[in-house]
Amino acid sequence: MAQTGKVYVAQNHGRTLELPLLGSELVCVVTPSRSLISIEIETALPPLIPARPLEGGEQYRFHFDMTKCIGCKCCVVACNEQNGNPAAINWRRVGEIEGGYYPHTQRHHLSMGCNHCLEPSCLIGCPVEAYTKDPVTGVVIHSADACIGCQYCTWNCSYGVPQYNPERGVVGKCDMCHNRLGDGMAPACVEACPSGAIAIEIVNVAEWRSNYLSANAPGLPSADDSISTTRITLPVNLAPDTGRVDTQRIVPEHPHWPLVFMLVLTQLSAGAFATLWILDMLGNGASGSISVLGSLGLAGISLGAATLHLGRPIYAWRALKGLRRSWLSREVLSLSIFAGVAGIYAGMLFLHLHGRPVAGLMTVLCAAVGMMCSARIYMVPARPAWNSRYTVAEFFSTGLLLGPLFVLALDMQALGEWDRTWVARAAVMGGSAQLLTQVLKFLWLSRSEQFELRASALLLSGRLQRAFLIRLGLLIASGIALPLVIHSQLAAIATIVLAAIGEGFGRWLFFVSVVPKSMAAAFTKEGRAA
Amino acid sequence: MNWRRMAGLDTLEADYAFRSSDATGYTSAKKIPDHWVPTTCGYCSVGCGIELGVKDGKAITSRPLAAHPVNRGKLCPKGLSEHYIIDVENRAKVPLLRKNGKLQRVAWDEALSTMVERFRETQAKYGPASLGVLSTGQLVTEEFYTLGKLVQLGFGTNNYDGNTTLCMSSAVSGYKNSFGSDGPPGAYEDLEKADVILLIGANIADNHPILCQYLDANPRKTLIVADPRVSKTAMMADLHLPLKPRSDLALANGIAHILIHHGLIDRGYIERHTTGFDELVRFLESYSPDRVSEITGLSEELLYKTAFAYGRAKAGFIGWTMGVNHSTLGTVTVNALCNLALLTGNIGRAGAAPFSITGQCNAMGTREAGFASSMPGYRKFDDTEHRAELSELWGIDEARLPGKRGLAYPDIIEAAVGKKIHALWIIATNPLVSFPNQDVLRQALSNLDFLVVQDCYHPTPTTELAHLVLPAAVWGEKEGTYTNSERRVSKVNKAVNPPGEARSDFDIFLAVAKKLGCQDELFPDWTSVEHAFEEWRRVSRGRLCDYSGISYQGLAEHGATQWPFPDCGVSSKRLYEDGHFETPDGRAKLICAEWQPFPEQPTRNYPLILNTGRTVEHWHTRTKTREVPILERLSPRAWLEMNPRDAKQLGLRSHDRVDVISQRGRVREIELRLTEIIAPGQVFMPFHFSETNVNEVTQSAFDPISREPNYKQCAVRVEPVGAKP
Repeated sequence: MAQTGKVYVAQNHGRTLELPLLGSELVCVVTPSRSLISIEIETALPPLIPARPLEGGEQYRFHFDMTKCIGCKCCVVACNEQNGNPAAINWRRVGEIEGGYYPHTQRHHLSMGCNHCLEPSCLIGCPVEAYTKDPVTGVVIHSADACIGCQYCTWNCSYGVPQYNPERGVVGKCDMCHNRLGDGMAPACVEACPSGAIAIEIVNVAEWRSNYLSANAPGLPSADDSISTTRITLPVNLAPDTGRVDTQRIVPEHPHWPLVFMLVLTQLSAGAFATLWILDMLGNGASGSISVLGSLGLAGISLGAATLHLGRPIYAWRALKGLRRSWLSREVLSLSIFAGVAGIYAGMLFLHLHGRPVAGLMTVLCAAVGMMCSARIYMVPARPAWNSRYTVAEFFSTGLLLGPLFVLALDMQALGEWDRTWVARAAVMGGSAQLLTQVLKFLWLSRSEQFELRASALLLSGRLQRAFLIRLGLLIASGIALPLVIHSQLAAIATIVLAAIGEGFGRWLFFVSVVPKSMAAAFTKEGRAA
Repeated sequence: MNWRRMAGLDTLEADYAFRSSDATGYTSAKKIPDHWVPTTCGYCSVGCGIELGVKDGKAITSRPLAAHPVNRGKLCPKGLSEHYIIDVENRAKVPLLRKNGKLQRVAWDEALSTMVERFRETQAKYGPASLGVLSTGQLVTEEFYTLGKLVQLGFGTNNYDGNTTLCMSSAVSGYKNSFGSDGPPGAYEDLEKADVILLIGANIADNHPILCQYLDANPRKTLIVADPRVSKTAMMADLHLPLKPRSDLALANGIAHILIHHGLIDRGYIERHTTGFDELVRFLESYSPDRVSEITGLSEELLYKTAFAYGRAKAGFIGWTMGVNHSTLGTVTVNALCNLALLTGNIGRAGAAPFSITGQCNAMGTREAGFASSMPGYRKFDDTEHRAELSELWGIDEARLPGKRGLAYPDIIEAAVGKKIHALWIIATNPLVSFPNQDVLRQALSNLDFLVVQDCYHPTPTTELAHLVLPAAVWGEKEGTYTNSERRVSKVNKAVNPPGEARSDFDIFLAVAKKLGCQDELFPDWTSVEHAFEEWRRVSRGRLCDYSGISYQGLAEHGATQWPFPDCGVSSKRLYEDGHFETPDGRAKLICAEWQPFPEQPTRNYPLILNTGRTVEHWHTRTKTREVPILERLSPRAWLEMNPRDAKQLGLRSHDRVDVISQRGRVREIELRLTEIIAPGQVFMPFHFSETNVNEVTQSAFDPISREPNYKQCAVRVEPVGAKP
């Protein structure tokens, strides 16, 4: 809309003014004598959408001009209207960054939809292949029909772009209004912006891959995670301390209760089968009959519980589609195989069939692979506190603690003195490993230079401090002290219950204390949409 | 939640479907309307053209009216979501009368009979002036014109004023004193034609964002912004003047001093078109750069830069809003700004204007037609010629015209406290959020024998106190015209029907007139707003605000048009192009305006200066925008801005909940925001939120001429409440 031109107006003061003006029409200037002068204007309208079709090796991208943005948030409103989204879901968001000292203060705004990355982490993680990167336009498109609402993409994106819509049970995200683009119309955000700060451009993919520095901005995670294609024009002379304004507002994340249950119970089950396998190898296979059934049952329950996490449980089976890329698909497969093999092994134990050592080994290996896949799900760059070997250590320690305790508690009467001792000691090893993991992880978080990691430590030592201390207390009591002194089955059952609660607490903390990478937000903000 | 959704079937697929239509392109299917109704935005005075999309009798979407000359195909976030204010739970739908302490539903007939009876009783008992009326800037011009006649001639009280006194009466008084009449002389396009733009106390990026388009389109401009806070607008400036609070008048005088001393003035213009120059020169001697530097806290270099930029401008534009108006020196500060324009001849030509950017969508309409602070058509109460004109136009005895202006808004409240006003009619305004020093207001309202509140929404903090609530149609449900800051008259159209028994304010006024028995005399055969507009055209003919060339048909055919537009002439973009002003001698007055410190200076107990303002997502007292989910999402609550250096001394951190305390009251549990946007020693909070109402602490100090409150500065202290959640 904005056009510039020059107009020459004769004034009654004998001066000639050369004035810029705007107007899509022929402009009339009323002189003091009220005679009308018509002026032709030169137009130089910067296009907001590309004027030519894409060629090979190119894709569309957003250009955001921070020097033009006035933070009016028209783009957010227009996006929500365009896509019919409820207010709590914003596919385009506007954040604030601030720097400098009064009166040389700078506050700038950052408007962002999806960055339609070259290596979209949402797409890579998706277990059901709901995401596609359009081969022509490069737009990363999400299919609500294919989505099962696992929300794994929301953990994978460093910018927090995909958002889960609990009302509908699926995720959604900005698709650059590619259907409008196809009709030669601007996306809603582009069209609504009164400052012309948002535009669609064509980018050469190979060139961008070799230099994507202008995808970075203060208040944004590094574009390295997924090679964002959005080009950002930053103000010159940005104050060196310019940064996010929302760093003092660190809120716990969603707890994902079904996943807390699923993780703790599969790990317990894995640990229990490992214990049973060793007992069997030592010639005491019959002694663990109750716990065999118990751990098999728990494995089944936990897999079932996991589907409750989905927005669309009925389509859980689709999660096997993404095996080529998604750790979530791999987890589903490997844990299902574990359950199957464990079932066979359990049958062999009851029937005293030959070949049990091999079947047991297979069970334990499948369990280990499953737990590894579980851990890998969480090891994503967008969630720095999860993205470390502590996640693996935490999951395996849970198995090592709870598995032996479970066998001990359910089959104490059947176990011999010596077996009881080593099983209890194994549990203590697990408990100790978990304690070490927790302490080292906390030290790592609190000493980190990275905001998100430090923020996780701040949550654990601040808002979540009580929960964290209870978790450690339960761990020390039921995982280190009690297993060595209990002699009655009742005490053993109490211990495993306490330990399981402790690990449940731990897994809950794992989910709520992670501070995801995200774009800068506004200072005041309502709770998260999901 | 149903089992199908629990199982994971997509039960909302249809709700999230997309479809393409010619009018909208590819979009959410539920946002494709059956038809569009062109109208004008009902929030601020920028006056953007907007189209309401209607489907099945409900407004479901808004979009900019492409052809409208003001907004050029854009809207602000409030405009883009304006359809959400209409069909909401909190609308007033039926008349409610307080019986035995509770508001109970009554029929319209009973409501209006009771209202007229009670008003008449009160007036009979305490005199006609014991009835007060508080109006607004939110109605259409036709309604203002009708209401003015109804109140002044029907009820016969002149204690009638609008909430416009809370926002731009200083600009009105300033214009009247400098130029002989109200009426902003410039046009928005001056923002793109000026080479120097001086914005004083105007944060247009938050408050009038659509005007920023005009700045964007002006690459050659030098933008100077004077604001104690580093507002969004200040950050856009080429030169920001971070002056001390309320030192704007000294700044204007200081600039004038430099202009005169360095010959940056237009002597020809001064000689031909102004009076008072010699006195002004003598007066300004005391505003030397070093003294002004001390008062404003700005370096002399900044003062010189500003003065030279403006003085050398080929076309210099001065824009201001509430930073100037919300002050006990508001009127004279406006005069000092007008002085600058007059001294340099920066008025009445392209790019050059001293321009008050108004607040409400139709504050201009009530200024021109409303019959509150002046008689319709900017006529003066004490001008015999004006009185004779009106008496002839209306065919009434001149003696029935009030001899002088009645009480202004704050004085009506004061009179209620002093039991001189006994009955009050509040129309489309929410003083329980917006009036300064709420304690006084609550006292005033509790003294009343009868309080009628006419509003589109219920409950609001104000309707909750009413004896009678009259449900009114809201924007989108009625017809008329708005006039924006640049004097552009735009058509407002009806898209949907009002809910329940709610009626347009125009219908309510006519119905009240009928009960009062003055309908035939004042509004003979009026059935539609166009009747009122046609009479207003006749009444405004020949006046500065001449509407006689504007008709509904013309507005429909040619779009929004600026006044003055005489019926056999053309519309004018600017006033005073010929240098002829509305004073008796035709010359503008250069006025000597003495600066004084603001009334409540910080003390040891109240060491901080509180500044107030807005945010882009909300409108005034949030009665409308609290109903818009996306705006509430983007700006859910108020905050208090404080400089980190002050916070360190107080041991406070961002997101702490604090109380703001003045001598008069306390704002409780507001979220603290530490930011370098605000100067040490000052704090800032937005005024939209009834939950944390800044007017619990603001003071009862008013401009002696305009009666506008001094909202912008008062002394407070800040204390933490409890621990961080």
